Parts: sequence; C-alpha cells; structure tokens
Amino acid sequence: MNKRRTTWEWPVIIVVGAFFIVPMLAMTRFAMQRVPMSLLGRDTLFSRWTIRGLMNTISDDQFQPAFLLSVRLGIVTVLVVLALLLPTVLWLHLRAVQWKMAAEIVSLLAYVVPPIALVVGVSGAYRDTVPWIVSTNYGLVPLYAILCLPFAYRTLDAGFAALDLHTLVNASRSLGASWQQTFRKVLIPNLWTAILTTSFLAFAVVMGEFAISSLLLKRTLPTYMVEAQGREPQGAMGVALLLLVLTTVLFMVLGRIQKKSPTSSSQEIRITP
Amino acid sequence: MSQLEFAHVTKKYGDLEALSAFTLSVEKGELISILGPSGCGKTTALRVAAGFEKFDAGRLIMNGHNIEPVPPQKRNMGMVFQSYSLFPHLTVAENIGFGLSIRKMDKKKRVSVVSDMLDLVRLVDVGHRYPHQLSGGQQQRVALARALAIEPTVLLLDEPLSALDAKVRVEVREEIRSLQKRTGTTTLFVTHDQDEALTISDRVCVMSNGVIQQVGTPQEVYDNPSTDFVATFIGETNSVTIGGHAVLVRPEHTRVVSDAEPDSYRGIVQSFSFAGPLKTVVVRMSVDESLVRATMTNTVGTEWTMGQEVGIVFDHILRPTT
Repeated sequence: MNKRRTTWEWPVIIVVGAFFIVPMLAMTRFAMQRVPMSLLGRDTLFSRWTIRGLMNTISDDQFQPAFLLSVRLGIVTVLVVLALLLPTVLWLHLRAVQWKMAAEIVSLLAYVVPPIALVVGVSGAYRDTVPWIVSTNYGLVPLYAILCLPFAYRTLDAGFAALDLHTLVNASRSLGASWQQTFRKVLIPNLWTAILTTSFLAFAVVMGEFAISSLLLKRTLPTYMVEAQGREPQGAMGVALLLLVLTTVLFMVLGRIQKKSPTSSSQEIRITP
Repeated sequence: MSQLEFAHVTKKYGDLEALSAFTLSVEKGELISILGPSGCGKTTALRVAAGFEKFDAGRLIMNGHNIEPVPPQKRNMGMVFQSYSLFPHLTVAENIGFGLSIRKMDKKKRVSVVSDMLDLVRLVDVGHRYPHQLSGGQQQRVALARALAIEPTVLLLDEPLSALDAKVRVEVREEIRSLQKRTGTTTLFVTHDQDEALTISDRVCVMSNGVIQQVGTPQEVYDNPSTDFVATFIGETNSVTIGGHAVLVRPEHTRVVSDAEPDSYRGIVQSFSFAGPLKTVVVRMSVDESLVRATMTNTVGTEWTMGQEVGIVFDHILRPTT
C-alpha cells in the first residue's frame, strides 16, 4: 500500500506542479522579456530580459491610487469580517450550536449569488437606505465581506472547533476574567493562526476582485490592471506576477508563524505555500 | 456560619430536574465530595456554585451573602476541570499567574506567589514549559496550583482525576488532599468514584437523580447508609432474606463456616476466588436461592470446594431493604 502511494506520489506532484508553474513561467517571460510574442521560444530564452514594463506601470500616475485603494479596501474588509465573524462564531460555538448548520449555509451564499445579482440587489438596497455609501469607494466593503464569508467562516469555525472552548472560557472566568478579558487574553491568542489565515485570505480576495468593482465603476487595482493591459500589457502582467510572488511570500510567512506557535499542536488549520 | 450554602436549590432542564431542592452546607476548611452516578446532578451543583448555571429556585449563600446575582468572575472560586484546561498559549508559570494578573497584582509579588505555587505542587522545574509539554498528571497539578493561587473562597474540583491513568490518579488524589489540608481551602469535589470520595473527604454527599440521598462522614455513609441506593452505590452488598425480611449485608460481614455451626444459614458453595490476603466465596442460600458473597481474610486451613454444603453467618446487618 505504502509502496503504491510512493509510486504514484511523484507523477502526481509533477503534473500538478507543472499545471501551476508552466503558466507562471510563461507569464514571467511575457512580462519581463522585450521579445515579440511570436518569437518567444527556446532560442530567445536569455534575450532582452527587463523590468521596464513593470516599472512603467508602477510609475504610472493612476497605478498608485488604484493600488492604495485596493490595499485600504483590503484592510477595512479584513477588519469588518473579523469584527462580524469572531463574536458570531464564538456565540455559535458556546450558546447556539443548533444554529451552526444555518450559519454554514448562509456563509455559502457568496458562492451561489453571482456578482451582478449582489451588485444590483445590494446597491439597490443601499440606495434606498444609506445612499452615501454607494458613492464612496468603501461601499465595496460590505460586498467584499460577503465574498469573503465562505472561507472566513470556515477558517474561524475550524479554529474555534480545535479549542476546548467551554473549558477555556469557564477556566478564565472562574479565575476572575470578564468576557472581554477572556476574549482578549485567552481566545484571541489561541485563535491567532486562524485569524491570520482569515485575514490573509480576505485581503487576497479583495486585492484580486474585479467583477464587483468594475460593475460599480470603482478604480481598484484589478480594474486598473484590465485597463492598463490595453496600454502596457507587459506591465500589467508584471504587476500580476509581483502580486502572485507577494502572496506566496505572505503565505510562507504564515506557515512559519504556525510552526513556531506554541499552540500549533492544537490547531487544525494549516496553510502551506 | 457556613462558607457556602445551597438552600433548596432547584435546577430544571425542560422537564428534567437536575437538582431537586438541593440543600448542603460546606463549612470553612472542609472538603466535601459530591458522589453519584453519571447524570445525577453533581456537576450541575458545582456549576451552579461557580455561577456557570442559573437555577430556578432556592438560594446560594457564600459567607452569609446571597451570591446568585454575582457573575462567575466575581465569586472568587478556583475551579479545576475534568478536561485539561490550561491555556495552551501560556507557559506553566504564566498559567498560574493568570488569575493574579487579572487581579492586577504587581509583578514582583506575582512572581513570588507563582514560585510558591510551583513549589507547592512540586513542579519547580517546569515553570517555563508549555502545557502540551507536560504529562496529564502534571497538567492537573498545574491547574490545581492555578486555582489555589487566587486564594479562592471555595475550591471547586469537577472530576479532576477522571482523565488520568490509575496510578497517577491515586498520586494526584493524595496531593489534592494534602494541599487542601495545608492551605485550609474549603473544597467541593465532584466525583463518580467512591474510592476517591471515601479516601479524601471530610464529608460525602451522595446524590441520585438530582436528590441528595445522604450527607455524612465517609465512615457514616459506609456503615450506616440511610437509603438502599447509598448502601448499594457505596461498597458491595448482598441482598438476602432473613426471617422473612429482605436485608442488605456487606460481604465483609458475611462469613462462610462449616455446616455444623449452630445459628448459621445453609448454602452451597458456587465459586471462590483467591486474592492474597483476602478470599471471596460465592454461596447459594438454600432458603431463597439467592447468591451471597463473603469476603474473608485468608486463614490457613479453611478451604472450600465447589458444591460443598456450608453454613453462612451474618455478623452485621447493614439495613433492611425498603
């Protein structure tokens, strides 16, 4: 059995690895080589490598505002998602286990409701209730929060499930800690990896979200990149590659943090780059 | 004045009465065990005391004050749980100091208390370790030190030994008793294990179906059980009919003698087992066909064979069956 697994392991790793790495290598060549696409081949592997396209795009006047907007939206979305979900999931685990199934189904809504329905429905509701939110860029945050729900909920849920929550909470309270102190001094430190994972994933979703921001005519990094593709295709590809590398580095850092954490033996969530 | 008093405390879960007019006074410095089978309401009583459960009727009084409205964190009750409850992200020393830092004790004093506590539970060398680096017994000793560090008015122990293996269980049990005596901490100890309750308690409170059956010293509940439940739950009993009355007799008060002995009941040996200093003989009584067990010291020259006709003597009748 073991031998069979070893025999199959490598071909599978190679095929799956190639599935991810070959397009990335192609992206890299397209973004960094000043060679016409029709000539990109084995002969031109080492010719005319440059980061000029990437630098052109980055130094473009419109790049920075779009990039910073996406970063700001990412941070605010992460905060909103955590503020909504941490108390909710805690409550579901401690006091309302019977509602967990319903919460799980609701958290999946983002998968079944297409962006256009979300935009039309939600922005319609906002226009009638809080019209100012539609006109600001931060009007995207509630929609992004919905988009992040499926995995944000699951990651935090798994984090809570890995703890002996009732005992920890009761132990902390019997030692004199209030609910707030229990949350801050006992739960958050033990959920740290789940919170980090949720944050990174939510941030990554916002940095890459195109459909909703495009429909609402907001200039975030992805909508800018689609525009820039027409003017400077190599630069846009370069930025995409850069984001990919940054995300990979972030998740490698996260993996390291998880390994070092003293609570890691009790954590079930693992993110490996 | 009692340190902690339950006065007719009733707690219901739907139709089920987990505690039914539960009344118990715990005196200062005393260790009381609440003993009973699973689901008898013993843990509910402890959780009510800790403030984790609200109750439907009755009063809960600590040092003369009604503490029903007081939230758990203000009751100053240290608690040790059945499952390992140390905070995984804190070292042993930080765990013990948790309650003290919540109370804003200054660092110097805190370090000194933590070190005293580590000394108390004989774990001086592991202060810097994390809980997952300790054995189960060590973890429960740290949990005990953590609960004692806050100098609790009442220490609550919720089956703290049940996750430990037999040998460690006895060690930690003795440690709990010696610490409790040394610190003079009023303690409420919940267990389903009669050996535990009988060996470490000043008094035992036996419960069944949410109702207190008897409260007394270990000797009292063993020698003079006030109900059939207490008699059969604590220790072993034989149920026999003597002179037309059904009675309960302890195996150690039952003796197998030669069939010629006067005033003995007739019976036939069914089986016997030998365990070093003690031996147990099972005899079928001729009068009502019931099986009785006799546990006797092993003396030279007393041997029985299967099917042998013997006499049975009851030295002490525990109680008539009701």
